[in-house]
Amino acid sequence: MSKTHYDREHHIKKATNVGDPQCFRGEAGPAKFKVGDRVRVKDLPSLFYSRTMFYTRGAECTVAELVYESPPAEDEAWDNCENPEWFYSVIFKQKDLWPEYPDAYANDTLETELSERWLELV
Amino acid sequence: MAEKHKAAPMVDEISDFEVLEIAVRELAIEKGLFTAEDHQQWSEYMETVGPLPAARLVAKAWLDPEYKKLAVTDGVKASLEVGIDWIHDMPSHFGTPSDYCNLRVVADTPKLKHVVVCTLCSCYPRPILGQSPEWYRTPNYRRRIVRWPRQVLSEFGLVVPEDVEIRVEDSNQKSRFIVLPVRPEGTEGWTEDQLAEIVTRDCLIGVAVPKPGKTNVDKRPVHPAINPVGH
Repeated sequence: MSKTHYDREHHIKKATNVGDPQCFRGEAGPAKFKVGDRVRVKDLPSLFYSRTMFYTRGAECTVAELVYESPPAEDEAWDNCENPEWFYSVIFKQKDLWPEYPDAYANDTLETELSERWLELV
Repeated sequence: MAEKHKAAPMVDEISDFEVLEIAVRELAIEKGLFTAEDHQQWSEYMETVGPLPAARLVAKAWLDPEYKKLAVTDGVKASLEVGIDWIHDMPSHFGTPSDYCNLRVVADTPKLKHVVVCTLCSCYPRPILGQSPEWYRTPNYRRRIVRWPRQVLSEFGLVVPEDVEIRVEDSNQKSRFIVLPVRPEGTEGWTEDQLAEIVTRDCLIGVAVPKPGKTNVDKRPVHPAINPVGH
């Protein structure tokens, strides 16, 4: 497990002239969800680092787009790029996020991106 | 008594974050991660980027439906036509000023209005929009726009009709967003230059909509004083 030499520049070497997240294209394998799927945001523990907003947890949403493949933020924060995942752009009804959101504006939505590990089919 | 009239210091005490930035920067230079010259070159480069290329992108998309299709599907590719290369152009020859290079151009329609925020802190499409305005980074904007978008937009002077859907884009992973607003009435027959002038930075974040006659280079309004001095 322990590496005798740790390559601090592995990410720069991979992303230079390619771009990030472009440099992870094709590494996540088949996507679990497709556009239009109804999914729920899991309420996973995030002890050290996460980019999954607490206001989204437990809420249902619709997959709008498969945006790119990338290591999830929880791994990448520790420089672990070994398990890239699909990232999904998902759309919530504001009503599903904020119970007090006025009924007059029931059409209002919020869109954000989440990695595959955070989503489950409803 | 004399001490009471001592002049206040010209510069306030340095903040904890500024101390942290200096410490990390000096350590990085000492460790050889980059040189002081690299740092200066990078800082100067960052001062040169601004929102004009994004305004140009919107103007082109208004005039050319094919280009609009490209912008909406591949923002990075569409940026090339307005002189912004997200992947190759950085002075360090790696990375981008915002680390990630996935630009999404979100198109408004008469029934859909987008507004961009990063609730985490300050994700912003810097290569094409420059540095974010101070208010964009404040907890006040970030925590309220996701929950009370209509109220916050009205504070910016933008009242969105009830039958128009507001879509908040919380940009907190690797995509960066700009809004492609609806082309306003009264701009028929305008050239690309004229159109680009009315697409201000706030229109690109989504907290304003373009209006003919309202540009970044307008003269500041001068109003007569409400209670003028009587002499």
